[in-house]
Amino acid sequence: MAPKKRGVTDSLSKADSEEIMESWGLELGSSDDDAPDEVTFEDSKAQALRSVKQALENGRREKDLLKEKRKKRLELFQEQKKRKLISAKLLEEIDSSQQSQQEADTRHQDEDEDQKEKTKQKLKHSRMLKGNYEVTTVKPPTLASSQQKAAEDFLHSRLYGAGSCRTTTNEMLSLQNKTARTKGAAFCFVKSNWAPERKSKAENLKRRWIHKQVPSS
Amino acid sequence: VGEFQSHSVHEKKNAPSAEVAPCACALNSAVTIPAILVQVIPGRDNAGIEALCWVGQRLFSAGLRGEITEYDLENLQPKCSVDAYGGPIWTISCNSMGTLLAVGCEDGTVKIFEILEDRIQFQRSFDRQKCRIISLSWHPSGKLLAAGVMDMIRIFDVETGHSIHRMHVERLVGASKSREVVVWNNLKSEQIKHRVSYGLIDGTSEGTVVQFQFLSRTVNQQDKDWVRTRTFKNHTHDVRALVHTEISVVSGGMDTQVVVRPLLDKVEKNTQESALRKIVFPHRSLVCCAKKLGLLLFQFSDHLELWRLGESEGQGRPGESLLVKRKPEKLIHLKRKGEDHIRCSALSPCGEWLAYSTVSSVRLYMLQIDNNNIRITKVSKLPKILNSAQQLCFSSDSTKLFATCSQSSVIVVSLSQSECKYVHTLNPQPGEHPVHLLHASDDGNWLVTANTGFEIHVYNLQKLKLHCTVPVYSSCPTALAINPTTRNLITAHADQQIFEFSLVQKEYTDWSRKLQKQGLHPLWLQRDTPITHVTFNPKNSAHILLHDVFMFCIVDKSLPLPEARSQLSNQMTLRSLPESERMRHSHAFKICKTFQYLLSLTLLDDQSLVVVERPLTDIQSQLPAPVRQKKFAT
Repeated sequence: MAPKKRGVTDSLSKADSEEIMESWGLELGSSDDDAPDEVTFEDSKAQALRSVKQALENGRREKDLLKEKRKKRLELFQEQKKRKLISAKLLEEIDSSQQSQQEADTRHQDEDEDQKEKTKQKLKHSRMLKGNYEVTTVKPPTLASSQQKAAEDFLHSRLYGAGSCRTTTNEMLSLQNKTARTKGAAFCFVKSNWAPERKSKAENLKRRWIHKQVPSS
Repeated sequence: VGEFQSHSVHEKKNAPSAEVAPCACALNSAVTIPAILVQVIPGRDNAGIEALCWVGQRLFSAGLRGEITEYDLENLQPKCSVDAYGGPIWTISCNSMGTLLAVGCEDGTVKIFEILEDRIQFQRSFDRQKCRIISLSWHPSGKLLAAGVMDMIRIFDVETGHSIHRMHVERLVGASKSREVVVWNNLKSEQIKHRVSYGLIDGTSEGTVVQFQFLSRTVNQQDKDWVRTRTFKNHTHDVRALVHTEISVVSGGMDTQVVVRPLLDKVEKNTQESALRKIVFPHRSLVCCAKKLGLLLFQFSDHLELWRLGESEGQGRPGESLLVKRKPEKLIHLKRKGEDHIRCSALSPCGEWLAYSTVSSVRLYMLQIDNNNIRITKVSKLPKILNSAQQLCFSSDSTKLFATCSQSSVIVVSLSQSECKYVHTLNPQPGEHPVHLLHASDDGNWLVTANTGFEIHVYNLQKLKLHCTVPVYSSCPTALAINPTTRNLITAHADQQIFEFSLVQKEYTDWSRKLQKQGLHPLWLQRDTPITHVTFNPKNSAHILLHDVFMFCIVDKSLPLPEARSQLSNQMTLRSLPESERMRHSHAFKICKTFQYLLSLTLLDDQSLVVVERPLTDIQSQLPAPVRQKKFAT
């Protein structure tokens, strides 16, 4: 290592000179054997100024372009918004007409006047709320109801709380199937409509898993 | 059975379930075997009943709402409610004289109410305990009262209201979580103290009922001890209510079943009395069918559902199942108003009217069903007299609505598009039994009612008068119907007897006399579910259609009655016989057991039969979690 280091320290001045040589070398390469053109100081200065100006102008133009682009996009958004608003109004009108039809149509199932009002209220709120939420007025809990709740909780904790050794209904029925004279499979397989939500969830998971597996293999 | 084409649509999943799981049961002293469900007092939302108590012929209940309620057993509704002001009530018990009622409250007080003739009145409150009072038991003398709290039993002096004894109870490992054990401990110690010669019983979360008896361990010895004598396992879920009668143990479980288990040392063996009885479904019809349009109305405690039957392709031979062309569809889901549960409902035969009743009100709706347009409008102006009905029924031409109300009277209301008008009240004699069966004949001339006093009244609808009263039979009628062509009234009773009564001659018909003379088949009499519905075949007046939970039966009056030694349900053997032999072996009762847990059976106008099944597994799958039980080698 030592000799290399020494070499580096020795060639410090050499490297400098080489750099200079290289910068010269380009111009030397371009004009090959010709002698270098004489460039006056003023010319070079003017050239430098021009290039600086150009660069500045370029920058400004780009900025302007960007601004214009943004402006255009903003205008477009605003227009779209306006368009959307109109369509929403239209939609609402259509909606309301449909609703009145549907309300007359009792597939909607609630026919009592109060219930109708409720559905109307629900619809008003449903525009404001995203997701699966519902608006209801909460009655202030009375002493009796809170006591009742506490008593029910006590009973529930005694019967189903920790240490109550509970299984699932599925397991119990499956055990019955297993020990019966005519043997059967576990109950969740026997009954096709057992736990539909869990089944659909499992199906989704499976599909996702397969989807993940395909590109890797 | 082959004469009827089988309808391919069987509603399986959407029929009404059994009422809510029984949490408390109490039996009146006059218990007849077989027990049948006679009447239902509809409940309310958020008012679960925790304890029931009979005081003579009066019924009291208490629940976690903190109120003591007395019921009006004539009109089947709450009569009066008294707040105990002690928080939720866990238990209620009356003394042997029937003068005082004790309730155990959440806040640790025992409150004594005096039973007056028309109401109950607060008398006093005992010393307050630190823990909730979970069970109460009176001493037969009425001077002492034992109260069970968690891990402890306290004995109160009724005169002073102070606690005089205190007993700590060891917590039983594992089982002490359920309050039944505390009840048992309480009862046990109580009965050790006072030498009651009864056995006592205990229900557990595993669904077992354990009986203990006060016996001497060895023969001819004086020292007696409490011995565990019997263990019954009748329930799959928790046992929530227990009653020990003279001859049987009655238990109600979370699995929505009530089981009557006779004690074999108290009853004669191999008789009607000694059979185990399970009550799974309510013994009344919760399904109503509009024959012309093929609509079915299902009654739930909090809503009604209207379904349209599907259609099948063509006709098939017996044993085939047809392809479904159009699936059954749910047309209306009607939620009830208010807190009271639905008591009864009815759909008119033409499918244009729908009515239901709660304890507090009757609601009538007009239906208009085109192909896909369904319109339902509430009839706003009902006659004021129609405020509550125990049973509802439409006339066959849908122009009249019949509603039974207090004192077994029937209100007749005429229906039209513009208005509903009160017409008449049919009132036999002022009786005190509520009506539990109501039927209007298909020809529109007759109306029959049956009440829980076993009386059957027949009214003439043309004259709006009482036509006749059928001789009272000693068993409760469970189903009745009038055959429009022969004008005979068919009644089925809780003891499985069937009678035919001619309305023209006002006497039992010859067929009925013959049936009584020869006697019904022993296997028929041994069935433990009552007939809940009777209909007729309009094409052949000799056919009577009956059904209970496990089978349906077509009685052909033209054929000879089955003899006691012959096979009762012989449809399969008949099928294997050659044509010439069949006639010789066939008898009047044609029984089909293909469909189980039947809720309804209706013969439509196109000679197809609608059967509504409710498989038990559907209900079981919705029940709360059972207790884990270790089974060997599983």
